[in-house]
Amino acid sequence: MRIKVKIKRCDPTGRGGCEPYLQAYDVDVKEGMTILETLMWIKENLDGTLSFRRSCRSAICGSCALVVNGTPKLACKTQILREYEGAREVVLSPLSNFRVIKDLVVDLSPLWDKIGRIEPWLQPGSEPPEGGWIITKDEVERIDRESRCILCGICNSGCNSQEVDPEFIGPSAAAKVYRFVGDVREDGKRRRLERVSGPHGIWDCSRCVMCNEYCPKRVEPMTSIEKLRVEAIREGLVDNAGARHVEALVDSVNRVGRLDEAVYTFRSLGFLRSIGMIPLGIRLELHGKMPLPHIFPAIEGIEEVRELIRAVEEEE
Amino acid sequence: MRFAFYPGCAALAIAKEAYRSTLLLAERLGLELVEMVRANCCGAGLFNDKNRELNLTLNGRTLAQAEEMGLPIMTICNTCFMVLNRARAELDRDDYLRDKVNHHLARIGLRYRGEVKVKHLLQVVVEDVGIDRVKGLVRRPLRRLQVGAFYGCHILRPSEAVAFEDPDRPRSLDDLILAIGAEPVDYEGRTKCCGFQLDLVSPHLAYRMIGKRIMECRDRGGETMITGCPLCHINLDSYQGYAGKEVGFKLDMPTFHLSQLLGFAMGFSEEEMGFAKHLVSPERVLKDRGLL
Ligand code: FES
Repeated sequence: MRIKVKIKRCDPTGRGGCEPYLQAYDVDVKEGMTILETLMWIKENLDGTLSFRRSCRSAICGSCALVVNGTPKLACKTQILREYEGAREVVLSPLSNFRVIKDLVVDLSPLWDKIGRIEPWLQPGSEPPEGGWIITKDEVERIDRESRCILCGICNSGCNSQEVDPEFIGPSAAAKVYRFVGDVREDGKRRRLERVSGPHGIWDCSRCVMCNEYCPKRVEPMTSIEKLRVEAIREGLVDNAGARHVEALVDSVNRVGRLDEAVYTFRSLGFLRSIGMIPLGIRLELHGKMPLPHIFPAIEGIEEVRELIRAVEEEE
Repeated sequence: MRFAFYPGCAALAIAKEAYRSTLLLAERLGLELVEMVRANCCGAGLFNDKNRELNLTLNGRTLAQAEEMGLPIMTICNTCFMVLNRARAELDRDDYLRDKVNHHLARIGLRYRGEVKVKHLLQVVVEDVGIDRVKGLVRRPLRRLQVGAFYGCHILRPSEAVAFEDPDRPRSLDDLILAIGAEPVDYEGRTKCCGFQLDLVSPHLAYRMIGKRIMECRDRGGETMITGCPLCHINLDSYQGYAGKEVGFKLDMPTFHLSQLLGFAMGFSEEEMGFAKHLVSPERVLKDRGLL
């Protein structure tokens, strides 16, 4: 089947810098052909100037990530006809949230820097015991997902927090932190959690689910971030808006069964920042929207909710 | 069509207009809503930051309540929809967790069996009511009104758990915009995040997200936006002023709840739909289009 493959290109050495433009190529595609095979065919037969990255061709090296019709994917793991059928066109662009070097090649160094900064190696407190560490199946499974990351950058490309804050730790580095925090041999757990509890850390994830949705290895970085948050709170690292937000919500549910917005806002923000919200409060009030504290009667059956919270806490 | 109605905390407090307009719309559409007055807050995902089992147990309670009622759940909040469905999917997939949760639920005489469906109003309208039926009920076609559909994240993702429509190429809201006589505006950020969860944690990130979404829609000719989520609405509407400051642009984008714009097109008045509750008034745009 002959289809048009449109590729978002740019060449920083050409005139106009890296001003992107769309170039269309007519390609005969066969059932089962991947996007990477298509790109390689174009490069060999139509246009040797086209740039893209690849190495393993089998979804292991993480080199070939790009954006297909708006969605970040691995070129070598994606069949072109399936994409064409869904959208009636195929538009290939470089990963989002990274600077483009040329055509489909982006500068991944911010990702390597983030990974480097989290010290991606095991830091055990002592030498392995005689006969080596004995790790149970459960203990391995706890960090199994996080161990699968191939550093392709797809999660970072989709990440809505990284889009508005390039300094945000990002899903891949956060998942990597959990890979060590969750490792029974690790000794630097608390220090690692302290580091990610600050600005641009785990509490800046907006839970947009993009990383869980698109990770080609099903690492589920957002779930890793949730697990890091649990660990951080358990370690007592609660002096930040993110952790206060969680505690305020659980308290509110324990008290009235649902969200008491005013108290929740106040407790999450702390006194000073709550004052900053007063102008908005006044406008909300004028529109009959201002949430008032403690006016909610508890829901019917609140004892049940409290009973369940107690039951889970007891177990912990 | 009967549903166990789970409005969510936002629609019961800060976004009451979403709740009220939903009740009026439901009656017009022939949906019988039995409100789950005993249901607790879904936690908006934050229970997971405290204790995963707490999340599954408290949401398991809601799911089990609906099973006792013998009805599918209908929510009007993307986040409730995602959280309940994500908990449901986890419980269905993991016997060990389900047993644990059921062990807790037994203390309050409930049991999660794994039979309940959790639907969103948008899904109910397109799947159960049908676009044709909606078309037939339109009394005030919103001609020429340029509406940007804001899907938001949680009605689409994680797609495996929410199992609604193609998260990359959703069309339900756009189909409805057409059905009520208005014109859908396509723009980049329609399936992205409104930033709600960062409002109180890292507000500047949230404001940037809101600003970006509104600017993207505006640049493509959008003059109003519509969303099926009261949390997205809080951000797009109530926080629009802050977002405008963040992106350095005076924003003026009225945003409707799904139920409001459908109801308005079906002949309910702006008072009934609660337009005055919005911080960014839709009055001027609606007058310009001869709809008020
Ligand atoms: S080429 Fe290695 S992952 Fe695609």
